[in-house]
Amino acid sequence: MEEMKKTQVSSEEKEVLVEIKDLSVTYKSERATVYALNGVNLVIHKGESLGLVGETGAGKTTTAISLLRLLPRNATITGGSIYYDGESVMDMTEKQIRQKRGDKIAMIFQNPLTSLNPVFTVGEQIAVLLRVHRGMNRREAMKAAGELLEQVGIASYRTGDYPGQFSGGMRQRVGIAAGIACNPELLIADEPTTALDVTIQAQILELMADLQKKRKTSLLMITHNLGIISELCQKVAVMYAGRIIEYGTVKEVFAHPAHPYTRGLLEALPNLEKKQERLHAIPGLIADSQNLPSGCHFHPRCEHCTKRCEKERPEMIRLNDDHYVACFAHEE
Amino acid sequence: MNRKTLLKRMVHNPFFMSGIIIMVILLLILWIVPNLIPYDATTNSLLEMNKAPEWFSRGFEGHVLGTDSLGRDILARVLIGGRTSMKIGLIVVFIEIVIGTTMGLLAGYFGGIVDTVIMRLCDIILAIPNLILGIAIMAVLGPSIINLIIVLCFTGWVQFCKLTRNNVIIAKEMEYSKASKAIGASDTHIMFTQILPNVTTDIIIIASEKFGQAILLESALSFLNLGIAAPAPSWGNMISDGKSFLMVYPWIAMSAGFALMFCVLASNFIGDGLRDVLDPKRY
Amino acid sequence: MVKYIFKRLGQTVIVLFFVSVIAFLLIRLAGGNPALLLAGDGATDAEIAEIERSLGLDQPLVVQYFKYIGNILRGDLGRSTSYGMPVANLILSRFPNTLKLASVTVLFGCILAIPLGIIAGSHQGTVIDFFATLFALLGQSMANMWKAVVFIYIFSVWLGWLPSIGMEGGIKSYVLPVMTLGWQMSAQVTRISRSGMIDTLHEDFITATYAKGIHPLVVRWKYAFKNAVCPVITLVGMRFGTMLAGTIIVEAIFSWPGLGQLLNTAVNQRDYALVQALLLLSGAMFAIINFAVDIINSLVDPRIKLR
Repeated sequence: MEEMKKTQVSSEEKEVLVEIKDLSVTYKSERATVYALNGVNLVIHKGESLGLVGETGAGKTTTAISLLRLLPRNATITGGSIYYDGESVMDMTEKQIRQKRGDKIAMIFQNPLTSLNPVFTVGEQIAVLLRVHRGMNRREAMKAAGELLEQVGIASYRTGDYPGQFSGGMRQRVGIAAGIACNPELLIADEPTTALDVTIQAQILELMADLQKKRKTSLLMITHNLGIISELCQKVAVMYAGRIIEYGTVKEVFAHPAHPYTRGLLEALPNLEKKQERLHAIPGLIADSQNLPSGCHFHPRCEHCTKRCEKERPEMIRLNDDHYVACFAHEE
Repeated sequence: MNRKTLLKRMVHNPFFMSGIIIMVILLLILWIVPNLIPYDATTNSLLEMNKAPEWFSRGFEGHVLGTDSLGRDILARVLIGGRTSMKIGLIVVFIEIVIGTTMGLLAGYFGGIVDTVIMRLCDIILAIPNLILGIAIMAVLGPSIINLIIVLCFTGWVQFCKLTRNNVIIAKEMEYSKASKAIGASDTHIMFTQILPNVTTDIIIIASEKFGQAILLESALSFLNLGIAAPAPSWGNMISDGKSFLMVYPWIAMSAGFALMFCVLASNFIGDGLRDVLDPKRY
Repeated sequence: MVKYIFKRLGQTVIVLFFVSVIAFLLIRLAGGNPALLLAGDGATDAEIAEIERSLGLDQPLVVQYFKYIGNILRGDLGRSTSYGMPVANLILSRFPNTLKLASVTVLFGCILAIPLGIIAGSHQGTVIDFFATLFALLGQSMANMWKAVVFIYIFSVWLGWLPSIGMEGGIKSYVLPVMTLGWQMSAQVTRISRSGMIDTLHEDFITATYAKGIHPLVVRWKYAFKNAVCPVITLVGMRFGTMLAGTIIVEAIFSWPGLGQLLNTAVNQRDYALVQALLLLSGAMFAIINFAVDIINSLVDPRIKLR
């Protein structure tokens, strides 16, 4: 792991913004314990956009909210650490982490229909960020909120409207405006387009790409859509059952997927250029996070499974500067 | 939810368990103890007026909770009055459920004019506070147990009706009702096999709380001498009797008050506990 | 908005109409013949018929009803037989006392119950939550007459601190009636604000608000509670309406000279004109307050307006 970080820094000469080390999180419910994260290692550099892909339940959202220390009460961090700009997130005081939230690290939520407070105007919901973090008074903040709305393509006079008066796509624009209000260093977007129509998805993605380039914000893009990643991100991390199983530049990983799961994901995409009889599907179901398989979590679904995969858990191996994978098949 | 989780949740819910325990103890006392004491609830005894409680110094032989201003044994009165209240509470809740769910099913399932008429009726009943409506009706009908039950039911079924109606409207839109309709099930069949089971949880919760509320309303009316008429004992008219002697013989009002409190408390504890235990959203 | 107000106004009038019909029929059909009561025991049939004619009782019920409504609209609520004065005057003289008691109770109840509900709901499953729930359940389970009797015993008989009857003792005379009524009210308000908070705090937008770096207290008391406040307003309004119609039990025990005591006397004296008027009044109070509550709610929660 240490080695991996060093090589990355030297090869790309970029500063590390977020470093997640061996993060494990469990959720306790009445009947069972859910192992959501099982040793996640992830690095986000300044100004870079990283895509986090995986199926539902792979632990993408948990990773994101751990960063903000917003895990629900029934969740426990069982191990690992998170560093933001060299500071340990877990060791911050309540006040310190609060000053980061919304200001340095902002988040855009998955469902725009439920992530805006229905009884406050959208202007108020954007303006509050500026009042808390920038010390603006009510009127200044409202004015700034109007300007932010303009930037995401909504007329500024609509600051006085309630979320109920906007369509889904418009609400997600409001969510984005709130996300960029304080010019954050890191913007986390949790499947920001999943709940939207396809045509609106494209507009939102374009807007996000545009804003990210202009503002040089780091972006953590959580999605299960590989298309979004290839359009929007430089780096990609593939998650499976609470672990990162493949990491690298989008170009490298998409061109030469090393993990059987990543290969499966890519093959499951329809390819318009090649003539195909039918799409590939990865056999089996996603790992049950209440009852994880031993060894490599993917082994029950893997075509190349060996005895060793059933017993041992593979660590990240460096294939080249731009590509890492957690699979025994690539050990020399 | 399987039976095991349900049982586990029940046992681990302090309110539910205390409610059940209080209720069971109360029922046992109400139906066993009157057979052990040598006094009648309505026999006056001029020689034994306003005697202070003896607690259990002579077992059940003496006036364990003292006597009232007419020399009647308070323990016997509390217990017999309690039996009446419990019976009335049960009967009232049962009738309320039958009327309320039927009306609610009709309103929710057929909608349109049926719905409007039933809902307006509910609004009108809700527009006058329970106790005031109860007092007015009792004043006109005159105090008797049957009239009391009629009054309590008249004001109480609305909640079941509204609950059932709202649930039916939600359930009607759900896939399984549409699916049943698509395979040609009749309206009544759908109503009783598909929709009713979905509202039972809420009905059970409301019913356990309504039981206490019915007893509260009954004792309030009895307190105002509009419910169970003297000399028949009831917790309400005992508190009313005792109120006048609070200065000198406080025990007359206290015993009935405590009994009433425990009874309603048990009912509310059970209702509140069930709300938690049966909550499908709970993780 | 204007359309919404008119729609609600229409519904209120309809409910009031039916309440008046009930009040009218209940007394007219089941309350016995008022002519018999007025004429006294020794009256002949001819005398009774004469009184019936003078009261308009020989006319069809519908005509009688509209006469009755006409009188009410002119401010004539009939004459109280037990007090020997016009019902309207009687009600006007008693209403301020009931209004004072109800207002103080609502104020006291809300100040106590809303914070308790918010805190309990924000810390579900903790000791505070347990005690708040216990407080609420006890308040709901103890009959008002029983609470009143216990309070009188403790604070008047035993400690001798507070008066137990009337309203001549200034602020002191308010304490026990307000405690009795306020506990019951705050029990319900606590529970409804608690459960509203619990539901709201599970919403996505609350996580989103936390993600903005806003202080948890602000998130709970401002951003979450505003979502949970409508049922609280509705409940407080309903309780206020009920109390405005007269808190029969409490007014009877504490000899509070309000509408509740009036109703109690009216019922015992078979003063049907007064019972009828009070029944109608309670319906009217309730309808007006409900209307006000709906308007307030639609101002607080924009979702209601859009429906």
